Amino acid sequence: MLRPVEMSRVVVAGSNRVIEPVIGKLHELNLLHVVNYSGADESFGMGKPVGKASEYAEQLIKLRSIERYLDIEDKMPDKQFPESQVLSQIDGILDNVGDDVIATAERIAEIENDIKIKQDQAKSLKPLAGLPIDLELLYGYESLAAFVGNVASPVEADVSKASYVNEVFTASSGGSNAVAVFVPVDKAGDVSAALAEHGFSEMSVPRGLTGSIAGAISTLESDAKRLESEKEPLQKKLKDVRAQNEDMILAIDEYISILSQKAESPLRFASTDNAFVIDGWLPTDQYETLKTELESAAGGRIQVEMLESSEADKLVESGEDIPTKMQNPSIVRPYELITRLFAIPEYKEFDPTLLIFIFFPLMFGLILGDVAYGVISLIVMLMLKRKFRTPGWQSLINIVIIASIWAIIFGFLFGEIFGPLGLWDYIFSGVHHVGILGTVAHPHEVGIDFGAGFYGPLGRIGPSGLGDFAGAMFPMYRLATASVLVLIGVSIFIGVIHTGIGSILGVKTELAYGEKKHAYFERLPVLLFQVFFGIGLLGLIVGGTGNPLVLLSALVIVISIVMMIKGPEGVMGATHIPFFVSNLISYLRLLAIGLASVGVAFAANQLAFYVLMPMLSGGAHEGFTTIAIVVGIVVLIMVHFINLLLGILSPFMHPLRLHYVEMFTKFYSQHGGGVEYSPFGRVRRFLSE
Amino acid sequence: MVVDIIVDGGILYGLVAVGAGLATGLAGIGAGVGEQGIGAAVVGVVAEEPGFLGKGLFLMLLPETLIIFGLAVSLILMFAWTPFV
Repeated sequence: MLRPVEMSRVVVAGSNRVIEPVIGKLHELNLLHVVNYSGADESFGMGKPVGKASEYAEQLIKLRSIERYLDIEDKMPDKQFPESQVLSQIDGILDNVGDDVIATAERIAEIENDIKIKQDQAKSLKPLAGLPIDLELLYGYESLAAFVGNVASPVEADVSKASYVNEVFTASSGGSNAVAVFVPVDKAGDVSAALAEHGFSEMSVPRGLTGSIAGAISTLESDAKRLESEKEPLQKKLKDVRAQNEDMILAIDEYISILSQKAESPLRFASTDNAFVIDGWLPTDQYETLKTELESAAGGRIQVEMLESSEADKLVESGEDIPTKMQNPSIVRPYELITRLFAIPEYKEFDPTLLIFIFFPLMFGLILGDVAYGVISLIVMLMLKRKFRTPGWQSLINIVIIASIWAIIFGFLFGEIFGPLGLWDYIFSGVHHVGILGTVAHPHEVGIDFGAGFYGPLGRIGPSGLGDFAGAMFPMYRLATASVLVLIGVSIFIGVIHTGIGSILGVKTELAYGEKKHAYFERLPVLLFQVFFGIGLLGLIVGGTGNPLVLLSALVIVISIVMMIKGPEGVMGATHIPFFVSNLISYLRLLAIGLASVGVAFAANQLAFYVLMPMLSGGAHEGFTTIAIVVGIVVLIMVHFINLLLGILSPFMHPLRLHYVEMFTKFYSQHGGGVEYSPFGRVRRFLSE
Repeated sequence: MVVDIIVDGGILYGLVAVGAGLATGLAGIGAGVGEQGIGAAVVGVVAEEPGFLGKGLFLMLLPETLIIFGLAVSLILMFAWTPFV
């Protein structure tokens, strides 16, 4: 499961006479990851498309434009159609419906353009609305110069000074002064200068309009409205067409895409005048199926062969990528999304998905750790699961569902229902508590106490005897000092294991690539360093500097540093040491982010139960008034809602980081990402078999 | 009265709490400053090439460790180191 599916290199060679049935069969089997022919061999050329490839391409272009006009996007199918039904409807959809859709959409675009023009014209005329002059008189003179625009102050006197012969129209509305000044052409320069002193800014007058300016504006506005109303039924028509044909159009898209894919596939094969050769990779255990199926499809006129691994290795060395097909049980598969987000594993690398499946939900649960939050997020995700049915969303939702279950489990361990304090006690013990540690008289006498370490108490699990399961160890109340100390230890411990597994896989990966020096002097010392750093820390806390564990760890750490210096990077290798230390400390976030969200929940409960509700009930701690209960509940819902939103986001992001930064850097994607196995063929979604 | 508080250990405990707050808070500011540039660059890269989202996240989350260092100091101050022992 940590390894991708084993692949084999296959060569299929046959006569051109059987190329069509072979392509058909290959496509149907959906098994062979075709390696495109590079054109390196002189005796082979590139294959030629079979069938009506260009016709399919044209049909596809038309279909896609129809899809765009109808706003149809890929989605999960509601209906499936047999091929015969699709075939009978292609012409109808492409020609009749399609032409109609395209014409309608173009008409809508035209109308929208007209509306825009009319609105723009109306907008540019508005400032001139008050001028007592018709539109057609504002332009088109030979011997007169016309200035139309806005000014800041009255211009009549200065215009008269510049040109004795003049005609000035003015209008002021809403703080701006519009003017239309007409003077003989030979005075235009002087007048322009005079106008400039009054802050004149020219406005362009739309051509082709007549009558009074105010009248023209109202005509333009009513025209725009009329066009709007003309557009609406057209848009509704497109919506109806879409509602009726959406699945059918997508089915046709799928059908033509398949035909086109098949027709163009020989371009990826090597071919001569009479024969063709297909190179590709497929899962080794599928080889026999491919061989027998292809041979029967081609009536024996074909040769299918698996290359020896030594020959395949040579091809890999010359630059061919072995495709990676991740292999995980269905419950683990959603977590491939997280792997994929980072990189596709290379064929020789480990596929970290299983590890993510183990650690990611655990970390999420450890951080969120609240029964109520877990249940709410579980219910919300189950509801979303019906709504968002694309594979990506489904994976994401499944990830959160599994993680939520862990959050519920940890919720029981921590004794949290909507935060510590309050509901847990009401539900499981019927006792009402005031402080974090409750009313337990001797908190140090219940649960498990880890005793005193060298520097102080080591903490304890289960400071409260309530709930009484697992020997009164739980619930442990995360906010209590003693629990925080335990959780610091648990976080670092998880870190040591998590990074340790990463380092072990790193050693094995380097060995798989034949890099012994990297394996033993770069990866192994990191493993030793981090594991013994953790052990040393434990020894230090339990027994101080004299503890034998500390001495042993110090020795191993020194050895590992020496190994790093001896490694491929030399002395520079040792410069990574702070990074390895910070790797482990980084796991404290498991505790820290959890504490933050518990803190908010705790504050919400305190605020509602011990501040607001008593305050509104006149100081009483029992028998709250109705208004106090209502206000209290509103505050609780608000704060817990915000806390839950943050409480789902950050427990998701931070474990993600712990995987990407702390774990993957030890072994994953060190040699660049892999190529995903994508066999020649297509999963039929809208077409029924 | 001030003497009483000091003798009582109250002011010392208060100073420890202030120190713990500063440790986490200042570390947070530092990490934020570090992340802002990386975040902007990552958004730019992802806009061009959505496939880099994972690697971009990886880079963006690197400075986050800073806060955890500050937090570790705070936790030690608040829980593991007591001025009254």
